[in-house]
Amino acid sequence: MTRRANTEYLWVLPVLIPVFLFTLYPVAHALWKSLHRSQVLLPGEPFVGLANYASLLNDSTIWASLRNTLGFTLVAAPITVVVGLGVAYLLLANYPGRIYVRSVVLLPWALPGAITAVIWIWVFHPSWGLLNHGLRLAGIIDRNLQWLTQPDLARFAVAVAHIWAQFPFAAVLMLAALSSIDSTLYSAAAIDGANAWQRFRFVTLPQISTMIAVLTVYETLVAVTSYDVTYAMTGGGPGSATTLLAFQIWKQSFSMLNFGNGAALAFLTALLSLIFIALILWAIPAELFRTDDE
Amino acid sequence: MALHLKHLVRVAVVLALALASFGVAQTDIDFAVWNYSLDIVQDNIEKFESENPDVDVTLNDYTWPDYHDTMVLRFRGNNAPDTLYVGQDWLPAWASAGWLAPFDEACPDLTQYAADAANYAVNDMTYQDQLYGLPYYADTISFLYNGAILEEHGIAVPETWDDVLQASLQLKEAGMDHPFVYEYGQELPNFFDAFVAQVYGRGGDMFDEDLNPVFNDPENAAFQHLQWLQEAVTEHDIMELVPHETDVIRTMNTGQHAFSVVYNYVLAAMNEEATQPRAGEFALALMPGEAHQTLGFAKFYSISQAATNDADKREAACQFIEYMGGGDYSIATRWAAENGLGFAQLPLFEDPAVRDAWNDWIDVDLLREQVASARTGTWTEWTSIWSAYFRPLLAQAMVGESTVEEAMNSGAARWIEYRETVRGN
Repeated sequence: MTRRANTEYLWVLPVLIPVFLFTLYPVAHALWKSLHRSQVLLPGEPFVGLANYASLLNDSTIWASLRNTLGFTLVAAPITVVVGLGVAYLLLANYPGRIYVRSVVLLPWALPGAITAVIWIWVFHPSWGLLNHGLRLAGIIDRNLQWLTQPDLARFAVAVAHIWAQFPFAAVLMLAALSSIDSTLYSAAAIDGANAWQRFRFVTLPQISTMIAVLTVYETLVAVTSYDVTYAMTGGGPGSATTLLAFQIWKQSFSMLNFGNGAALAFLTALLSLIFIALILWAIPAELFRTDDE
Repeated sequence: MALHLKHLVRVAVVLALALASFGVAQTDIDFAVWNYSLDIVQDNIEKFESENPDVDVTLNDYTWPDYHDTMVLRFRGNNAPDTLYVGQDWLPAWASAGWLAPFDEACPDLTQYAADAANYAVNDMTYQDQLYGLPYYADTISFLYNGAILEEHGIAVPETWDDVLQASLQLKEAGMDHPFVYEYGQELPNFFDAFVAQVYGRGGDMFDEDLNPVFNDPENAAFQHLQWLQEAVTEHDIMELVPHETDVIRTMNTGQHAFSVVYNYVLAAMNEEATQPRAGEFALALMPGEAHQTLGFAKFYSISQAATNDADKREAACQFIEYMGGGDYSIATRWAAENGLGFAQLPLFEDPAVRDAWNDWIDVDLLREQVASARTGTWTEWTSIWSAYFRPLLAQAMVGESTVEEAMNSGAARWIEYRETVRGN
């Protein structure tokens, strides 16, 4: 028995080694970098303690990025979940060709971020974009709107592109959750005289609330770490209007060649993600995660 | 069986001897480039190899966005290429780190070619009075206009920035939404370069001779020009801000815009008859302002310090660089005539092949005048990382997210911080 207890650790080694190599070591190395001056163009990597963190916290552009990230996340994550739920309902309905519709709906999620950005640049481009053209045709505007270079419009544009890219994943998971609801619950509710809203509120919502919670956490993490679509659409501009924290990590590391600051900012972003997750889990009623046996 | 074995051994010995003798005769060098027109690069290499059969050149190519970081990592990882493309903004950092070899030491015969190059290009290839390259490609930032539109509205080609504003307001009055198309990509070095070019047009400077920032002085041309840009966007609403130079090409070709400030190769693309509906309408003007000067830059061929450790390799690398950037300038001529790439070798302005090819899309004599007065940027070990910090400040000020004073003061403070970190003063 003792022999078996000793050997069982060996059996998990094949799993632990990759975890150490590809997760723990990089994280530890990044932590080491964040405590050193690691600027490619300067000689040596002296220990600087928390100086990189202090320099970031004294940098107004980092605070602007934090505000942008908070705003972007608070808008994009819930809307993605809500749009995903709505689309899941559409996919659940019985109509000819729905199998094809389900496949097509997934497309935006499968596209690389850079391609998504190119598509949306064609939509939002001030001179020859589809949106301005359509709005002009409809007589809503008489002068082109500067979607990608006016701060508020640019924030709106990147949020739309991000939600478009993310909603299919939410829809597929919501579809799975909706499909697993026992149809007899709806029959019983109908017998009790529940209308459509009441069936959604008292039958559907409790059954999919765990999925909503999980998706909200996931989409929050995706929004906090969002980078590619925004970078390709606006380059973080105009000014700092769409500069998100993940973009700043890239910029500190690869544009300003300051890997110490980049690593420190990565840790601050991870901390922000943890705070978001804790808040979401705190806000969700504990009953959601309780099994029938408990 | 024994006979077969004996044959095999003989063949192996002969092959080994042949390979060994082949290896002794050949000097291998590698050549790192960003991946623009690789077919022509490879063809040029093959021509060089056929004329120099004792040198074998291996091409390593990288994408432009990856190129700088890859080279830095190769140098730091003791895996330096022997010959390579270098950008003017990288030279101070790479040369001060000892990664590149000055021609005075590595290839003294090549320094003669500096006499034929435009001043701004020589400055771009020089660090602490030593030449580090021969030009691969050079260009100036120019003020462009749509001649057909100006003629239609009876507007003269602007001479000053006030002329540009008045012409834009006149066009706006006539129904043109945004007469001026401006490349507004804060992550692109071009965005900063174009600003500097406009400051040079006004006769201004960003820094003094001791590398003190002067752009934050309200009396300075840079400060005043950022103010002009901010008012053009927020008050007069004459600017169409587009994220990339490729957008400038398409946007100008809608016929709804009259002016832009971009590199000359963009003008070549705008006037390309095969692809652009309004090709031929666009022309170069001297940069508006009292001085009419502009910013020029050069990308160039360099030799790494590592390549100089081996005499054969050093000699082969120098031969190769001379073939590509010097000699009778046949390679520079080819790039200019076939691809429309700009050049720093001034004799090419007289070359019939270049003039014939370029007359289709630009006034070559006017370009020559602009090139003659073009100035280099202020390239230090920290310019590129400072520029990455300063560009978003420029962008913010342009659209009124911050004041000109805030942007300029913040940029000046960071410049001084970097200078003190790198040079200690």
